[in-house]
Amino acid sequence: MKNIKYYAYPSTTREAVALLANKKMKALALAGGTLVAKTLPDTVETYLDLKGLPIKSIKLGAGSLVIGAGATFDEIDRDKLCRSWAGGVISAAAAKCSSQLIRNMATIGGNIARPHSFNIFPVVLLGLDARVRLQNQAGSKVVDFKDLYSPALKMRPGVDCLITEIIIPGKTRKWRCEFIKLAKTDSSWESYITLFLAAGWSEATQFNKNRKKGRNLAQVRIAVGALGPKPFRATAAEQAALAGDPAAYMAFAAELEAAKAGEYRVSAASSLLERFLQTI
Amino acid sequence: MMKNIIETNKGFFEITLSVNGEKKELAVKNGEFLVDALRRLGWKGTKKGCDTGDCGSCTVILNGKPVLGCLVPAVTAHEGEITTIEGLGSVHNPHPLQEAFVEAGAVQCGFCIPGMILSSKHLLDRTPNPTEAEIRKALDGNLCRCTGYVQQVEAVKNAAKKLKTKR
Repeated sequence: MKNIKYYAYPSTTREAVALLANKKMKALALAGGTLVAKTLPDTVETYLDLKGLPIKSIKLGAGSLVIGAGATFDEIDRDKLCRSWAGGVISAAAAKCSSQLIRNMATIGGNIARPHSFNIFPVVLLGLDARVRLQNQAGSKVVDFKDLYSPALKMRPGVDCLITEIIIPGKTRKWRCEFIKLAKTDSSWESYITLFLAAGWSEATQFNKNRKKGRNLAQVRIAVGALGPKPFRATAAEQAALAGDPAAYMAFAAELEAAKAGEYRVSAASSLLERFLQTI
Repeated sequence: MMKNIIETNKGFFEITLSVNGEKKELAVKNGEFLVDALRRLGWKGTKKGCDTGDCGSCTVILNGKPVLGCLVPAVTAHEGEITTIEGLGSVHNPHPLQEAFVEAGAVQCGFCIPGMILSSKHLLDRTPNPTEAEIRKALDGNLCRCTGYVQQVEAVKNAAKKLKTKR
């Protein structure tokens, strides 16, 4: 931080993105700052503090759950709407990030702005087919979360644009989801592996053998984190699970091995998937 | 250029903030974190432990929430309201939480206690009758190397009762 010349406290996103666009200022945007404040690159001369921006609300928007990028983990953990969405998995994941003192400071936007193995939300948002609203001086655009870290995006959150909203699509509202973090303790930041597992149903169009209208498994999501900076979806296992293959966990194990996961991680994660599939 | 911008003056930044209810104008060093600034300026009840956001001994309440003083650049507390352990009570007039910690034998070396009490205060402010799970969750960032947390959890329960009778 020794080269910081300015601390800026914008009160609007317009002010913030204007400052990011001013290349002479060499600004970097920080929200909670829990990951980056200690390790600011020497090239940064302006610390752009995002805490005053009006991007903290959690609300419904066109049937989707819209989480302001400035919402802290604690706010997400305690929010009624988040707790009711997808079985409360978003709140549950927020509660599993590090300690209460970190959860009071860290924001969802900061957690996804840069890829990092131990970040909680990327794996959850990937599994929930989330979208992210980015804003720069030219305006705002919504991108799929899965593309956020793609070099093709040509926008770098915190450096030349801001993340202002995370949009969780309405189709996920009734999904049955689990977020599992294998770590030394619940409050460890580091984890051995993180898993997001989800199942979504559609109403059956045919009567089942009991002459009752049932539900058809229509969506399965298996997302894996902590094995590398970016989470990934185990698509072969998803397809197998969707087809009702009881050995889907074996396909999952193969995908984990391909991702060079250690033997204990493969064993634990595939067992957890097997258990999850049995419950659905 | 936006209004809210502070420029360095020979390596210092001049900020205003409120510490324990008193308005202060402070010059903080570039790169200085809140725990270091508070201790340098006399609020030594805020302890410096790991300096990496793991132990919680540097906890202060900033704008109503307990935060880690070692992860907050001091300049970002500009125009903020800070409560340190000195703002809670004194030897002669302790806060019910401080009384409860002493009465329950929750203090051994004492290094973690300022942070633990400030985290507990925030918990009791928003959850006057917390469950044991809620107490443990609120204190999960305040590490104690001396105790097994049993007396501290007990102390927070007792403080909740004390505060209830005071209301």
